[in-house]
Amino acid sequence: MEEWGSPQFVAEQFQRWYAQNSHTIPAPVEIESREFGFLTFHGRNMYRHIKLPTQAELQRYLRQNAPAHSYYSSSYYEDPTAEMARKGWRGADLVFDLDADHFDLPCQREHDKWVCRNCGKQGTGHPPELCECGKAQFQTETWLCERCLQAAKHETQKLLDILIQDFGVHQEELTTNFSGNRGFHVHVHSDTVKTLDQHARREIVDYIMATGLEAEYQGFSQRNKGAKPALAEGGWRGRTTRALYDYLSVVTEERLKEIKVSPKAVQAIMGERPKILRLLMERHPSNVTPTIDPKSLQLIVDDAAKLQAAEIDTVVTTDIHRLIRLPNTLHGKTGWQVQTVPYGELPDYDPLSSAVTIRGPSVKVEFREAPRMRIGDVWFGPYSEENAELPLEAALFYLCKKGARLA
Amino acid sequence: MLSEREAAKYPFMSRGVELVEGLNLKLEDLADPNYRKVLDRAAERVTEAIVQGVVSARLADPLTELLSYPVAVMFVTLIGEHFLSRRFALAEAVRAYELLQGEYEDKIIQIASDEFRWDLKREPESIDGVIYSLRLAYPDYLRASTGFHEPKWKLVNRKLRDGQVSLTGVEAARLIQVEVENWIKERVSTPSNFALPGPLQKHLDHIRKVFEENRSKLGGSSLPDEVVNEAFPPCMRYCLEGLLSGRRASHMERFGLTSFLVNVGMPIDDMVQLYVSVTDFDEALTRYQIEHIAGLKGARTRYTPPTCNTLRTHGICRNQDAVCKTVTHPLSYYRKKARRLQSKQEEAEPSNTTE
Ligand code: SF4
Ligand SMILES: [Zn+2]
Ligand SMILES: [Zn+2]
Repeated sequence: MEEWGSPQFVAEQFQRWYAQNSHTIPAPVEIESREFGFLTFHGRNMYRHIKLPTQAELQRYLRQNAPAHSYYSSSYYEDPTAEMARKGWRGADLVFDLDADHFDLPCQREHDKWVCRNCGKQGTGHPPELCECGKAQFQTETWLCERCLQAAKHETQKLLDILIQDFGVHQEELTTNFSGNRGFHVHVHSDTVKTLDQHARREIVDYIMATGLEAEYQGFSQRNKGAKPALAEGGWRGRTTRALYDYLSVVTEERLKEIKVSPKAVQAIMGERPKILRLLMERHPSNVTPTIDPKSLQLIVDDAAKLQAAEIDTVVTTDIHRLIRLPNTLHGKTGWQVQTVPYGELPDYDPLSSAVTIRGPSVKVEFREAPRMRIGDVWFGPYSEENAELPLEAALFYLCKKGARLA
Repeated sequence: MLSEREAAKYPFMSRGVELVEGLNLKLEDLADPNYRKVLDRAAERVTEAIVQGVVSARLADPLTELLSYPVAVMFVTLIGEHFLSRRFALAEAVRAYELLQGEYEDKIIQIASDEFRWDLKREPESIDGVIYSLRLAYPDYLRASTGFHEPKWKLVNRKLRDGQVSLTGVEAARLIQVEVENWIKERVSTPSNFALPGPLQKHLDHIRKVFEENRSKLGGSSLPDEVVNEAFPPCMRYCLEGLLSGRRASHMERFGLTSFLVNVGMPIDDMVQLYVSVTDFDEALTRYQIEHIAGLKGARTRYTPPTCNTLRTHGICRNQDAVCKTVTHPLSYYRKKARRLQSKQEEAEPSNTTE
């Protein structure tokens, strides 16, 4: 019986693609100092500590092995082939991962599923921290939709804005890649960031996610004086005021109570909303402090700042020994290409057309469960325990997601 | 160009070092009675560091002040005690900090960029009614502020624009203090060992005596011998409870908890038991990982748990209590809490034996 996902067939498609396209895959900066790692379609072992010192060798490796997943180190090493403690760390790019997997999105309840391996309980969306049976052994099945991708794009755009405006990163030091699945990766490569240590990277993460942000230092304190409103200011000072403005324009009484804002402050906000908004717009932030007590203000700022912060994976950025997907290779769980998106083109970038690079004549497949999905301009599915004949680009996606097998 | 007086203020700077080198002094020269004042002042610098934690600035006699610095450094390396080296570096750095606060911004910029290669420039702006006259490149800022834990130093609470952090003059001086401390620490951290001419040896003996008298004050207090479960900080409780209930733990959670347990002295066998009994972890692998963290395997360094800041970044700092406000590391929490619990216990159950 054919295995779900038909890995042999998918592997052959990857081989064909790499035979024709590996010459288009550029070497990362300073390729000779990078570690490479690969996963195949058979077995779960990562082949890592590999050095491919030239672009030609990298391309030959990809052609010969057509890996299911290809990674390289964001770090630069003296000896990329050595074991971790002896590699000789020389620096690392600053890398960010924005993945819908980490977001809490309503659409995930429509297309993601989990099953408890212990008691068999099932559910949709993210699995809970703990199953009712007391265990935490879940098998998950995650799909994606345009809303996930849109959310990832939105977070990525916020990150890019912070990096450029606040950190002064130049466009040519930035690379944005579609991850090949549910998100984007942003790489910053410059001498400035290269030698940042883990503490510095953590502070950068906290900055981007607004972790530890205190209202008092954004101008919201009775002790502060000043004439100008902060709305148009750079950095978090302006961002906090803008976040607060947007937040207070729409926030409900229930939400304020839920985050434990004091009854007096809730009343003030509900009663004098236009006045508070006007103060934020026209006056120094300290002018709202007589209306909203400091503790409540901090609670509101915590809640509101999330609107302006970018939801990045904290571990990816702070771990300086991390392997990250190699741009322009294929992603084995979708069959799509990990594509570099030129700066400025992110808003119009459509991975569901651009990243679908393996195309071909129809294939007959048998489905178990698979949701509806757009590939290019055509919609497919949903499918449930049925056979269908689809063009290769669509079939390959469902196969990679293991929702189908060759019929 | 720095005058002699300037060099005496900041003797660690390259200009001061050059001036001293130009004199081409030998050890034997220092034994000459003419240098008595220099030796006295050098010994005083070290004893001030030991006793007060800050070295005074005696600028009336700049040459003595300047020359006594390298001699003081020599004394510290000859004593070769880690605590002393650290304390001396800090005390000299605080001295520099106090002097820097009286300088114009140009001077601060000059020192920062010449000595420490900072990207610092003058660009005054008023924020909340306070003048921030300087802007510093964020990598320099982050490097120097590593050890600061007050919220006002967190990058997210600073004004950051075009890669530069706004600073007041005093804040810049405070950050330079850190660089000075690291700089001196590096130079005094390698112990040296050579014979001194009589008068110098006498001074060294005196310093050693002062150091021994104050030693207990300088040494850090140690952790209790027995594991005190009640003294675990909230974050580690959270990790432990999570583990016991089988919640899927992140790598950071597991690493944090394991390194914490290793450091408070839980026996490795007990930890393996704990992990294996509540999870479906493989025993051999679990043991290997714990031994690795304990420094018995692999690179042979024993890991310390992440700091509060790191735990906060990864969402593990939860349910903070009053003790949390006074610490920056879960092990300090543990140390403090254990001590408190102990003194409470002694109050509650007065010893019923009489001598
Ligand atoms: S403040 Fe530190 S010790 Fe307290 S819970 Fe947070 S991380 Fe743990
Ligand atoms: Zn279950
Ligand atoms: Zn979705």
